[in-house]
Amino acid sequence: MSARSLLCAAAVLACSSAALAEEAVVVTAVRDPVKKSYRKMLEGAALFKERRHLAPEATLRFRLLPREPDARMQGVELEVAADSLAIPLKVAPDHTFALEVSRVAAKENAQVMPNRRAGTMTWRADVRTPGLPADTRRLGDLRLECEVGMKSGLISRYPRGLFDVFDALFPDTPEYCSRERKPRYLFFAERPLFGVTLVHGARREALPVAMLYRGASEDREWKKDRYCDCSAVIDRAYFVPLSDKSWPDDTRVELEYMDGGS
Amino acid sequence: MAACALIGGCALQEPAPSGKPAEKPLGPGEVLSVPAAEDAVVIGKSTKADVRAALGEPIALDFASGYEVWVYRDPKRELVLLFPPSGILAKTRLR
Repeated sequence: MSARSLLCAAAVLACSSAALAEEAVVVTAVRDPVKKSYRKMLEGAALFKERRHLAPEATLRFRLLPREPDARMQGVELEVAADSLAIPLKVAPDHTFALEVSRVAAKENAQVMPNRRAGTMTWRADVRTPGLPADTRRLGDLRLECEVGMKSGLISRYPRGLFDVFDALFPDTPEYCSRERKPRYLFFAERPLFGVTLVHGARREALPVAMLYRGASEDREWKKDRYCDCSAVIDRAYFVPLSDKSWPDDTRVELEYMDGGS
Repeated sequence: MAACALIGGCALQEPAPSGKPAEKPLGPGEVLSVPAAEDAVVIGKSTKADVRAALGEPIALDFASGYEVWVYRDPKRELVLLFPPSGILAKTRLR
């Protein structure tokens, strides 16, 4: 992908240079910081544009999530760090952010770095169609989140063959999200989940508990899993049947939380 | 004992009738009938001890928040129970 196409693709991100300049933050240097490839995140943004039919009305942001139970998410600062420049990114109160577009940063293979050390946070794409009912996601949005997340290199993966031997047949590419064998891409709700129900027209189907909490109900050793990037938010984690084409993209994904209402 | 035998957990503590092969004991989270298991618990009233006594050992997921999710299954269905930190059953889901 050319630098020009990367920049064009990144333009789909809702991001204002002027606003960023006014609200610039300073990222304190951190030893062994968690970081992601700026180029790959731009490639993810390009894929978002190419695959928009999955979520025609949606916008793309990226989201930071805690990976350790005691990870501090307040005051997270983020920057695009290249050899010759550093671009601060504004992190919203919900820990989402949009990318700043920089031809120089792309050329210099910049890194996107928060002021936190490696292993404390994880990352996801965040694709949202506006106007949905509260606590409702859209399946097409989640499909696109998976593809963009994989393309952007955001996902912390298990060592090959350890968790799912078939994963080796599907490297970390967007194709993973539509593979025939159920893709195990974790999504995270805003709060701890009790149930997830798919709804399309008159068809309504609650997902089995095996598709919640990273499948912990099927794994007696779930608390010993040190590879999943979900350990701090496992009670918010769920899979959806991404590759099940019998559920159209405009299927509603209704989330019921532990603490009261749906 | 009779009610418990209908549902699950302790059903196979009874000796097998002579002449019949012993059935496989139910494992954690296994019940003979999920609808009957659902009938045996009461939201807002049943404690974890009550449920364990009625249905046997669950597949239990205990989270750092203090909430617990318990799962019981028969060959076709699944019953999911939610216990908040108070230990009183708060929600059920039958699938």
